[in-house]
Amino acid sequence: MGYRIGVDIGGTFIDFCLFDESSGELRTLKVLTTPATPGAEIMQGLKILEDRYGVPPQEIVSFVHGTTVGINTVIQRKGASLALFTTEKFEDVVELARLRMPETYSLFSRRPDPLVPRDLIFGIGERMLADGSVDRPLDEASVADAVARARAKGAQGIVVAFLNAYRNPAHEEAAQAIVRRLAPDLFIFRSSEVWPVIREYERTTTALINGYIHPRVDLYLGSLQKALIDHGVAAEPLITKSNGGVMSAEIGKTNCVSMVLSGTASGVMGATWVSAEAGVRNAVTLDIGGTSADVALIIDGKPQFGMGEKIGEFPLYIPSVSVTSIGDGGGSIAWVDGFGVLKVGPESAGSDPGPACYGKGGTRATITDAFAVCGFIGHHQLAYNSVAPDVAKARAAVQQVADKVGLGLRETAEAIIRIAISGMFMEINKLVARYGVDVRDFALLPFGGAGPMLGCFLARELGVDRVLIPTTPGVVSALGGLIADVKNDFIRTVFVDAEPDAVAVLRREMAALDAQGARWLREEQRFDGAVEARWSCDMSYKGQSFEIEVPIQAHWLRDGDMAAIATAFHDVHERTYDFCDRAAPAHIVNLRLVVAGSTQKPQLRPLATASGRPEPEKMLDVFYDGVEHRVPLYRRGDLRAGHHFAGPCVVAQDDSTACIPGGFAAEVDALGNIFLTRSA
Amino acid sequence: MAIDKVTLQVLANHCRAAAENMAYTLYRTAHSTFVKETEDFTVALTDAAGKTVCVPMDLGATWYPGLDYGAAMRMIPDYEPGDIGFTNDPYSGFLATHSPDLHIWKPIFHEGEIVCYAVGHIHNTDVGGAVPASLSRSLIEIHQEGIRFPPSKLYKAGRLNDELMRVMMINVRKPEQNWGDLKAFVGAMNTGERKVKEMLAKFGIGTVRQGLSDLMDYAEFQAREILRGIPDGEYFFSDYADEDSVGGNPCRLALNLKIKGDEAILDFTGSDPQLTSAINVPTGGNPRHTLMLVGVYYVLFTLNPNLLLNSGLTRPFTCILPEGTVVNPQFPAAVGMRSLTCGRLRSLIFGAFGLAIPERMPAAPAGSSSIMNVMTHDNRSGKAIIAAIDPIVGGGGGMPHGDGTNGSGADAAYLKNTPVEINEAEVPIKILRYGLATDSGGAGRWRGGLATQLDFQVFSPNTRITARNRDRSRFRPWGILGGRAGKPSNFILNPGTAKERVLGNTDILTADPGDVIRIYSPGGGGRGSPLDREPERVLTDVVRGYVSVPAADEEYGVVIRDGAVDMAATVARRASMRRNEPEGHFDFGPERIAYERVWTREAYDALTGILADLPVHWRFFVKGRIFAKVGQGEDGMAGGGRAAIEQAYGEVRAEYPQIRS
Repeated sequence: MGYRIGVDIGGTFIDFCLFDESSGELRTLKVLTTPATPGAEIMQGLKILEDRYGVPPQEIVSFVHGTTVGINTVIQRKGASLALFTTEKFEDVVELARLRMPETYSLFSRRPDPLVPRDLIFGIGERMLADGSVDRPLDEASVADAVARARAKGAQGIVVAFLNAYRNPAHEEAAQAIVRRLAPDLFIFRSSEVWPVIREYERTTTALINGYIHPRVDLYLGSLQKALIDHGVAAEPLITKSNGGVMSAEIGKTNCVSMVLSGTASGVMGATWVSAEAGVRNAVTLDIGGTSADVALIIDGKPQFGMGEKIGEFPLYIPSVSVTSIGDGGGSIAWVDGFGVLKVGPESAGSDPGPACYGKGGTRATITDAFAVCGFIGHHQLAYNSVAPDVAKARAAVQQVADKVGLGLRETAEAIIRIAISGMFMEINKLVARYGVDVRDFALLPFGGAGPMLGCFLARELGVDRVLIPTTPGVVSALGGLIADVKNDFIRTVFVDAEPDAVAVLRREMAALDAQGARWLREEQRFDGAVEARWSCDMSYKGQSFEIEVPIQAHWLRDGDMAAIATAFHDVHERTYDFCDRAAPAHIVNLRLVVAGSTQKPQLRPLATASGRPEPEKMLDVFYDGVEHRVPLYRRGDLRAGHHFAGPCVVAQDDSTACIPGGFAAEVDALGNIFLTRSA
Repeated sequence: MAIDKVTLQVLANHCRAAAENMAYTLYRTAHSTFVKETEDFTVALTDAAGKTVCVPMDLGATWYPGLDYGAAMRMIPDYEPGDIGFTNDPYSGFLATHSPDLHIWKPIFHEGEIVCYAVGHIHNTDVGGAVPASLSRSLIEIHQEGIRFPPSKLYKAGRLNDELMRVMMINVRKPEQNWGDLKAFVGAMNTGERKVKEMLAKFGIGTVRQGLSDLMDYAEFQAREILRGIPDGEYFFSDYADEDSVGGNPCRLALNLKIKGDEAILDFTGSDPQLTSAINVPTGGNPRHTLMLVGVYYVLFTLNPNLLLNSGLTRPFTCILPEGTVVNPQFPAAVGMRSLTCGRLRSLIFGAFGLAIPERMPAAPAGSSSIMNVMTHDNRSGKAIIAAIDPIVGGGGGMPHGDGTNGSGADAAYLKNTPVEINEAEVPIKILRYGLATDSGGAGRWRGGLATQLDFQVFSPNTRITARNRDRSRFRPWGILGGRAGKPSNFILNPGTAKERVLGNTDILTADPGDVIRIYSPGGGGRGSPLDREPERVLTDVVRGYVSVPAADEEYGVVIRDGAVDMAATVARRASMRRNEPEGHFDFGPERIAYERVWTREAYDALTGILADLPVHWRFFVKGRIFAKVGQGEDGMAGGGRAAIEQAYGEVRAEYPQIRS
């Protein structure tokens, strides 16, 4: 028995989630980030936990951390100076990318500048063919020459990514050995070790991101390890991963790429756990902070995974929890165009200066200011008493917009909300259309500091009838770390049809993956608990340039049951795309393995029960749907399991404010979640 | 009475949601690679008159936000709920613009009245006709380009028109693909209908009906606002496709852009007569035909990235499209390869707007994207393999504040390539090189984007390689304001060997085992004088391999020795070069300069006058005869102008007394 701690870093705050294994109690804490001394706030938080809740460091049995250090390194372009070694005559692989640009209607559309400039890309004499045979042996002198030139240009590290190395990594390995011999001070990564998948741009760019963020991630995790030891925490810190699992900080220092999306992924994992505990199988998660708004789908109790998630301007091709950005959060700025039409975003006040009502110098109206003008916020301090909203400043900012659109102040504020909501409506529509699901079959699960503020309005727009507001909306990401499994993905590109002659290849690759998975979990992670192995194949029909992931049974591989694999593919294809062609060969591009070591999940203590309506703290005047309403303000801390109440109302708590319009009936469940049901 | 502008924006988002929903539904459920890989499809909502009101931004082609379905829709006399209309005939209402494009529309009813339509198009891989995929430059009449359906009901009151479908399926080469795509397409229309019905429930019929109209007014306002910011005046520009038919003469496109206040007239008089080849652009003379305005959408969106894309944008523009020309051919001219000409029409519009607002427009993008297909055999299995390998796309033009993008960009930014590793795993070819071509971008203060180059080897006899839309191997992407033209494209068999053959604009080739094929796109044009480019920036280009040391010297006047700029030598070199700098807004490159010594604007005016007076079926023939006499370039009647053309025409008339004008 001891304490388990999840820590997640956002743009403005560091969130702590503390679970006491003996009492079943969950506690939360927010500390302002201090960009100047990263890591210091973690120690500050641990100090507060010790002082306030009596948590001795030596009783911390698990410390799980989600960090933005990787993604920020890419976004701020503060990574390593890298050299890239490619196959000769293919040096432009990162610049050409996949040709298509983000903005197809503009003559000024551009691709991002590559993470490594063209003059630090060196073509190496070698060629491997698609079947893994050597067409041209590695020219070792060209490697030595490239090392010398890379060093002369100040490269700190080298990434090697040769054509067809997914099939045969021998040349990459040989080049790596030469680099290690000639330049032991330079770090080196191979594309075939980072993520050995077919498609040279995707594999190369993933390896590049790994190298690019490696020095900063290594430094950050190293100082975290040291600080925890100094503080007396014996547990090896775990890092949350883009795939929703965790790994040891030590592994994260080199396997950097797999933790890039750690915060957003663990938010979805936390939300998945919350919805499962609350008995919700299908949910749209809505994570809105001051600077971001992300949605994800939970279908049949599971988050969705994909490859190609965006890291700043770059796609990352490792399995990640699928999260879609639908805007820039509560700080999105309202403005008026030449036709007199009101727009919201994409410009954002961010966390600095933030919304006008934060009083930190912002003067332009944001979504948060609109809610302040409408009376939903401003009655209490926000964000654990770190922000005292100044409603007068919000009014002044919204008034400037009102003057341009010719509406009253409150009407303008409501218009800002309506337009922001309709923009999110559009983005969520795209997401559900991509999955071919009907959003009305889903519950909405808003979290993050601003999720509960917007959630009910968005649910109305979407035609969603159920909204689930978790107990601690502000720290769902930190909670996600607490419940995550130790988990890693492994892949082998096989490129065979699911026919009898593929059995030998598949069995061989399966054995290799099995050994790799066991080594990772048992030796590298030193995990000795129960292990789950999930096999899947990325499959397609001939001529399709994309694959779908098909879950398969290990015994199909062992028994050589190719028909079962093919059938599974046709079934998934039909379910995903509404058609399949059972006569056509089922092509297997990749064989994949996920190993997951299950960690103990917290058993939350049920909330004390009550019945009837909770006692409101006071009554507020709020404005929405064109009318002023007098509504109760409830304190979240006053709510008990079994309480019933109805919108319109406002529920305030330390980390967020839920704005609930009329037509919603609320019920507090046994764990303290607010369950809202819409009747009109 | 217009709806309030808050509701208007909310409605705009709901319409976008409907359009994006339709696009994702189609993309998710379609079968063919045309839909899945090249995204050659559109979906949209139109108003009750068939004018496009809303298109998706995430997926699909960029050509149709101003498409007018009205004429084709009205060719079916009445509709009832559950109907779906369709056509692929370019000459029925000028909706479909070549026969592979199947357009469909579903009326959406409210209490017995049509509120709007869900609409869209997909490019079918094949609709029958003379050649696989139904497209070839060499075809000369529409009947060779596959089966055509005039506007007909695909569904009548919710029931599929089986007979018509059987007719289609028996006429096409890949019926299961067409059928699969069609099913997905119908699914997308039903999605659109469902989303519109949700909008009707939320906003009410009055608001939706009025809102659709207001959304077009909104886009119109935005377009007019942009036009008001452009100086009044007449801006004449012409550009050429290299060939008007296989191995033929140049195809000239001309535009006189007249801007007055918030309106613009685009007069295409002076464009070539309709061609006896398949690169005609069918417009029916519609003054706001979407194919003529694609370049305009790009210009407007570039000038205002918040632009709403719908038919309202087209209202301030009027195109003059003389009948019997390449931009308004008469039935039954072939039109299958109109996309080649459309590329030139876009550069025509970019050039004319560039004259009007040089400070805000880039130089010419490469403007030619060859779509490469390989048909070969696997020597091990003996199986025949057909695969699209890569689009060969060139860079963007130099921008007002930056270099053109390398390898793709501007009006070709939507194309995707195929990874080398996928090509090699699926097709028995070996790729020898895939990358950017050094020195291919037009020199300038802001350099044109570089071309892409692909070299590959084939291993089986009778390997057929097609490269659709080959162009710009002669006339280069132009530079502006002192910037130089980009380098032309090329297509070469066995480069640097005794068996070398330069193929230029050839678009089909049969190769032998061991043959090496090289293809490279044009580069983008440069912007501003290359002598004004900072020497350090030129050095960076050299270090990065974008520009060679000799080209740095010859084109930029930057002398580089031992990896550093020799400043003294550079200053001297630039001073001497500055005396010989070309003048004028455009640099067209030596080929067009030589060509226009003969084919001056005056000469073309004479030719246009002569041909316009002839019956349409004589025009292309007479153009060819006059060209045979007058010639092009060095051996031509340089400076002959009007007199030379009239003299040549006199000789042609003497030779062919059947000509009656």
